[in-house]
Amino acid sequence: MDYAGSEPGVAGLHVPPLAVPNQRRSDGTPPITSTKIVVSGGFGVGKTTLVASVSEIEPLTTESVMTVMSESTDRLDGLPDKTTTTVAMDFGRVTLESDLVLYLFGTPGQGRFQFMWDDLVRGAVGAIVMVDTRRVEECFPAIDYFERSGLPFVVAINMFDGSPMYEESDLRDALSLRPETPLIECDARNRRSSAEALAQVVVHALRMVGAR
Amino acid sequence: MLRKILIVGAGQAGLQLALGLQARGYEVTVMSDRTPDEIRAGDVMSTQCMFGTALGHERALGLDLWDATAPRVEGVGVSVAGPDGTRAVDWLGRLDAYGQSVDQRIKMAEWLDLFVARGGGLVVHPVAVSDIEWYGGNFDLVLLAAGKGPLAGMFDRDSLRSPYERPMRSLAVAYVHGLAPRPDRDTGAVQCNLIPGVGELFVIPALTLSGPCDILFFEGVPGGPLDVFQGIRSPQGRLNLTLSLMRQYVPWEYERTTTGVELTDSGATLCGRYAPTVRRPVAQLECGAPVLGVADVVVANDPITGQGSNNAARCAAIYLSAIEERGERPFDRAWMEATFEAYWSSVAPATKWTNAMLSPPPPHVLDLIAAAQSRQPIADRFANGFDEPADFEHWFFDPTKAATYVTTLDGNDA
Amino acid sequence: MVADDGGRGSASRSARVRPYALTQGRTAPGHILFVETLVTTLDCEQGEESALDAGRRDMPEVRAIIVLCRGVRSVAEVSALLNLPLGVVRVLISDLAAQGRISVYQTAGDTGRPDRALLERLLGGLRRL
Ligand SMILES: Cc1cc2nc3c(=O)[nH]c(=O)nc-3n(C[C@H](O)[C@H](O)[C@H](O)COP(=O)(O)OP(=O)(O)OC[C@H]3O[C@@H](n4cnc5c(N)ncnc54)[C@H](O)[C@@H]3O)c2cc1C
Ligand SMILES: Nc1nc2c(ncn2[C@@H]2O[C@H](COP(=O)(O)OP(=O)(O)OP(=O)(O)O)[C@@H](O)[C@H]2O)c(=O)[nH]1
Ligand SMILES: [Mg+2]
Repeated sequence: MDYAGSEPGVAGLHVPPLAVPNQRRSDGTPPITSTKIVVSGGFGVGKTTLVASVSEIEPLTTESVMTVMSESTDRLDGLPDKTTTTVAMDFGRVTLESDLVLYLFGTPGQGRFQFMWDDLVRGAVGAIVMVDTRRVEECFPAIDYFERSGLPFVVAINMFDGSPMYEESDLRDALSLRPETPLIECDARNRRSSAEALAQVVVHALRMVGAR
Repeated sequence: MLRKILIVGAGQAGLQLALGLQARGYEVTVMSDRTPDEIRAGDVMSTQCMFGTALGHERALGLDLWDATAPRVEGVGVSVAGPDGTRAVDWLGRLDAYGQSVDQRIKMAEWLDLFVARGGGLVVHPVAVSDIEWYGGNFDLVLLAAGKGPLAGMFDRDSLRSPYERPMRSLAVAYVHGLAPRPDRDTGAVQCNLIPGVGELFVIPALTLSGPCDILFFEGVPGGPLDVFQGIRSPQGRLNLTLSLMRQYVPWEYERTTTGVELTDSGATLCGRYAPTVRRPVAQLECGAPVLGVADVVVANDPITGQGSNNAARCAAIYLSAIEERGERPFDRAWMEATFEAYWSSVAPATKWTNAMLSPPPPHVLDLIAAAQSRQPIADRFANGFDEPADFEHWFFDPTKAATYVTTLDGNDA
Repeated sequence: MVADDGGRGSASRSARVRPYALTQGRTAPGHILFVETLVTTLDCEQGEESALDAGRRDMPEVRAIIVLCRGVRSVAEVSALLNLPLGVVRVLISDLAAQGRISVYQTAGDTGRPDRALLERLLGGLRRL
């Protein structure tokens, strides 16, 4: 049954609710646990593609209109004038066990969107920072942010046609990665490759749990 | 009739007001971008020294939970750097009522927990403009108390009340343990070290997560020798820079660090800058509903005079009684404008004084500061101005009034 | 609990506000609504029809959430599918939870970061994809 489709105002969206186990908890609701991984990186780097290739639903979008500050990323800075921008966050969903569902949130990695990141990062398993080797510097704010927040993250090179190939050590240098931060390659269009990139995030998170 | 009030922002003003309204039976929802634990684990946000009147507002609501544990600020010391590391001026004014600085990470986290424990609605969410459009039509009153952050941009700048367009100081704060007391003093005091043309160093006794501490707070004239913290991200790097600048510009304060100071915790530093800005108090939403700005959202002064938290406490107190007095009547735009004007008239003196301190002092102010060296009443009156800036109008700004005041004092002494 | 507003048919704004305004004796929510937090409408004894019926004076947004969440949904899905800002969804769900009309699930991250056991299940699940 498709509840969403029968909803006024949401015609055209046919996103089924979660398939749930048969058991019931004391309040009559089924047992089920959710968690999330954040996918970040510069514009057009393949975030939505990665989310879509793993998700069991068409990626959905929530948008926020924010006032934006001129240049700086500093919480203290003032605002010369009123400007607003719309930030879109898209996400997908994948049911991994009958009672375990993983959400994937794709979010722009520019410094001024950090405002939204705290919210996304809260409680997350970890993050993927996607990098296009033609524009590596675009991922710097995301890397800085995740290093500072202590969230386990891996850096994934998304290979585009015509992307220059680099030695891993050169890339690590260019990105000033800490030695413990995994650097992997992935093809965001490929489901297996994307799932493996996500698995690497979990592996890294497990390592960090062990290190605690 | 239970009235529903939404407060966006869990800072000094938002939470003081939320707890006050809650105690009076309003149904209050607070939206905070962080949980209490995240606030505790985050970076310092201010030096937040509050004086007698503002502490009194907290006490009146039973929110003075750190009165017994936070170090007391009994005075305000002023030193002016002279050539070659000497002090041209060095005196201490006594406060009639003590001040205190309680790390906002402690206070806001605890107040937020208290608010929730008392049944308040807490929604953890980084509020965006798109959210506010809806709230406007669905609460009896929406108060925006989100401080100097991007949301303040919803409110138009009031250029008549905002003399500066740019930041007037770069700010660098470090909370430390291990600062030696001043050898010549037995009371806790905020120490203001003025370095002409360069900036200021404030040293403020405070209570932080790990107990009593001191805050080293540089205010640097933009582009000047203290405006050098940009790009230094590591807390230790910031402290090291603070210490080396102290050594160069305020060696008498640097002396106090030589037994070894260390940062109180990994979040103990803060650097940045902002333009002092007064805004129009009401933001009109697309749906037509008005939103009222609170404290720093509408009046953000440079921290050079340590007035922002004091003003925020005043704002919460004034808004609280205005909301109560309003009873069942609608919180419309006219009420909002009038409520803000009541607040503005209480903080206009602090704003005027703060803006004055950001510019090079005129000769008569230099004379007053020098005169306080040998006239304790001037020192005391200056110190108590931090609590009641309206008093400066009577003796500080106007050269004639200043001269008359000093003459009267000297006449009495003779 | 939804108290009577006594103000039906008054100005449209207050009519919109009141039913949801009068949730007396709110229980402290105690849960953070993460974007991935799952929620589901609690069945009333009398069945679904009267669950909606009891909320006849609900705002349309509240009705839409009640209907949508007959299936288990995340906070982010509610926002995206109903085209409501995330902040609005959080306020409404907090209130519905306080009224006992919606059940809010714990997430793996409620206590900070997900624990080892959950991470291992996740890893297994991802490798099976
Ligand atoms: C370096 C420095 C030193 C200072 N020293 C002093 C001093 O010694 N004495 C003094 O009186 N004042 C001082 N001040 C000023 C004082 O800290 C502020 O004026 C005071 O905190 C303002 O209170 P507020 O409630 O308006 O805002 P804030 O205390 O800034 O609170 C705003 C709250 O809203 C939250 N928020 C922001 N955006 C959002 C959003 N979109 N969604 C949800 N929540 C949001 C923030 O996280 C914050 O918790 C100093 C300030 C600075 C920067
Ligand atoms: N060759 C190649 N193209 C890719 C790959 N991943 C994504 N693309 C293409 O790159 C373009 C941008 O991908 P998106 O997934 O929309 O990127 P995004 O990061 O979500 O972009 P924004 O949300 O706009 O910042 C699309 O046309 C994709 O088809 C990849 O691995 N290889
Ligand atoms: Mg995208």
